[in-house]
Amino acid sequence: MNATSYRIIFCDGTSCINKGARKLTALLRGQLAKHGLTDRVTIGLSGCLGMCEKGPIMVVNPGYTIYGNVTENDIPQIVEEHLVNGDPIARLVIQEDHLYNRFFRVFGDAKFFGKQMRIALRNCGIIDPESIDDYLSLRGYEALARAITEMTPEQVIAEIEKSGLRGRGGAGFPTGRKWKLTAAEKAAPKYVICNADEGDPGAFMDRSAIEGDPHTVVEGMAIGGYAIGAETGIVYIRAEYPLAIQRIRRAIEDARAHGLLGKNILGSSFSFDIEIRLGAGAFVCGEETALIHSIEGARGMPRPRPPYPAAVGLFGQPTLINNVETWANVPVILLDGANWFRTIGTETSKGTKVFALAGKVVNTGLIEVPMGTPLREIIYDIGGGIPFGKRFKSVQTGGPSGGCLPEQYLDTPIDYESLAKAGSIMGSGGMIVIDEDSCMVDVARFFLEFTQDESCGKCTPCREGTKRMLEILTRITEGKGQPGDIEKLERLGGMIKKASLCGLGQSAPNPVLSTIKNFREEYEEHIHEKKCRAKACKSLVSYEITQKCVGCGACRRVCPVIAISGSPKSRHVLDQNKCIRCGMCFNTCKVEAIAKV
Amino acid sequence: MPTPLELIRKKRAEAVSRIIGKGYLSTKRVYVGMATCEIAAGSKDVMEVFQKAVSRGLTDVYLSQKGCAGRCNLEPTVEVIEAGKSPVKYGKVDKDRAQQIIERHLKNGEVINEWLID
Repeated sequence: MNATSYRIIFCDGTSCINKGARKLTALLRGQLAKHGLTDRVTIGLSGCLGMCEKGPIMVVNPGYTIYGNVTENDIPQIVEEHLVNGDPIARLVIQEDHLYNRFFRVFGDAKFFGKQMRIALRNCGIIDPESIDDYLSLRGYEALARAITEMTPEQVIAEIEKSGLRGRGGAGFPTGRKWKLTAAEKAAPKYVICNADEGDPGAFMDRSAIEGDPHTVVEGMAIGGYAIGAETGIVYIRAEYPLAIQRIRRAIEDARAHGLLGKNILGSSFSFDIEIRLGAGAFVCGEETALIHSIEGARGMPRPRPPYPAAVGLFGQPTLINNVETWANVPVILLDGANWFRTIGTETSKGTKVFALAGKVVNTGLIEVPMGTPLREIIYDIGGGIPFGKRFKSVQTGGPSGGCLPEQYLDTPIDYESLAKAGSIMGSGGMIVIDEDSCMVDVARFFLEFTQDESCGKCTPCREGTKRMLEILTRITEGKGQPGDIEKLERLGGMIKKASLCGLGQSAPNPVLSTIKNFREEYEEHIHEKKCRAKACKSLVSYEITQKCVGCGACRRVCPVIAISGSPKSRHVLDQNKCIRCGMCFNTCKVEAIAKV
Repeated sequence: MPTPLELIRKKRAEAVSRIIGKGYLSTKRVYVGMATCEIAAGSKDVMEVFQKAVSRGLTDVYLSQKGCAGRCNLEPTVEVIEAGKSPVKYGKVDKDRAQQIIERHLKNGEVINEWLID
């Protein structure tokens, strides 16, 4: 009899559920009660563990014993031999060496992490990012070595193509096809670029990936270089990320010292090295042609495509550009195989996606989930729902290029096509949850203010169009909206989308158009009734001091325009003619005596 | 002439033995989050507490930094990992909690339940 406390995790992925995992959970609960083990054995659920063909899967911690093909008959034996006597059952144990599994080993028993699947971020949080030994010990650079040793460049490309990996920067272009197009170009030299110019407000996927595991990006890029026949790679990263820059620089130096970058990598005939270029933080420089101009020393402005960078890229040469997260997936595909990678995700979108979950959720954080995970599961199971008992209103995906989805879309599975169909985009992975306290017109105005500010000014639709849209939105939030404004926004937005030169302009109207589509009544209330239901638009709310007032004088003291008067211990009065609606009194009052109306 | 694949396997074996040489298997491994977000939440101070303890003779501890695991609102985070035991993950670790983790967990083996990330 041993007294160890166990934590058991059942895989709660679709495949395991279909094979009876939930029945097993119920059965185990019964057995635990029978043996009086409920105090020291707890049960948890995880998302798909990527071992579907061996399901149902259960994991016993400590020890990280993985049992596969578990049947109802096995449960009593597991309880008696493993949980009571402490002897794992050898015949049920499956050996799994998938790379993502190591993260799960450390974090899988926590609810926030259990539903996730870490492929791109597989090492983030479990290794020392500044130690090449740590990376090497987890099969680091083995994918590169395997490619050079056993595969032709064509085979590498075929494997990436077969995996179904698509660009994680936002547009979702099939990565393998991009590699193939660049490889087919005859001109030399060719270049490989890592786009680490992460610019969405509130997004930090790329920063975190590089800070947590820089070598995977280096390795991915070297594999890309081998595949397309390039000897130079460039990491384009914004100067606002000093620690990420320091770590990727260190990784490049360490890799060089180990003969993993530079001339004749690992004694082969393949040579490849990486340079770092710092960006000044313009949002438009995340667009590939603008990024290339920026590296060349020109102003960061886009140009029309085609020709695509695959044909005419950096210094006019064939160039392969992929985003940080895309590169981080590459070594896994070569080591665990395209066939395995294809089993994760949906029909059209394979693998996982990293999101920066932010806004009005209990657990904010960086998450990586299999494609096809419903929004609801991300927001409620991983994110823990909306804090302070507030109501969910909308989720914004794709940053300033994306859209706001209301409650009826919560069961939308996350993949490129489903999100587009629902009226938003995958984007690079920003995900902001909005509750009832936010005004959708104001949210749209916020994002448009950002894109308008970041517009490079080269093409008229984006430069002028976003400016006019912002003017209209601003007047609506100030209570000066006019009948016909909504239609004007729709017309203008449609035109900007069609006529803009690059992705920035083509997607800038999305937050506005999607909020009009899904929250039209809020726009109408602002314009016709001069009312903001969320009480977020300053010009449309007024403050009142209610009878809850205890006369403490706190509001009177903070009011910058001396609009509040009253003697101690008696109800104060607010002069509406003087009030500038700054909200200072509202935030100061300790007894909730100030009401927004 | 070894192939690149043979070379990388050799490099891995060397890396593993260097890591084991630092006490990876025989000790309690302590990981302190040191990404920009963690540092902003105060993890440098936490790291310092652990480093000081090690330099003052705290033994059987393998101290390492790590990147961000993604648990933003509970940062700084610290993990204590020991062979044969469930990994322990602490959230919102400040200097004081770090000191207590050293005294109670690392020295006395007590898992401090109220700070665990679940």
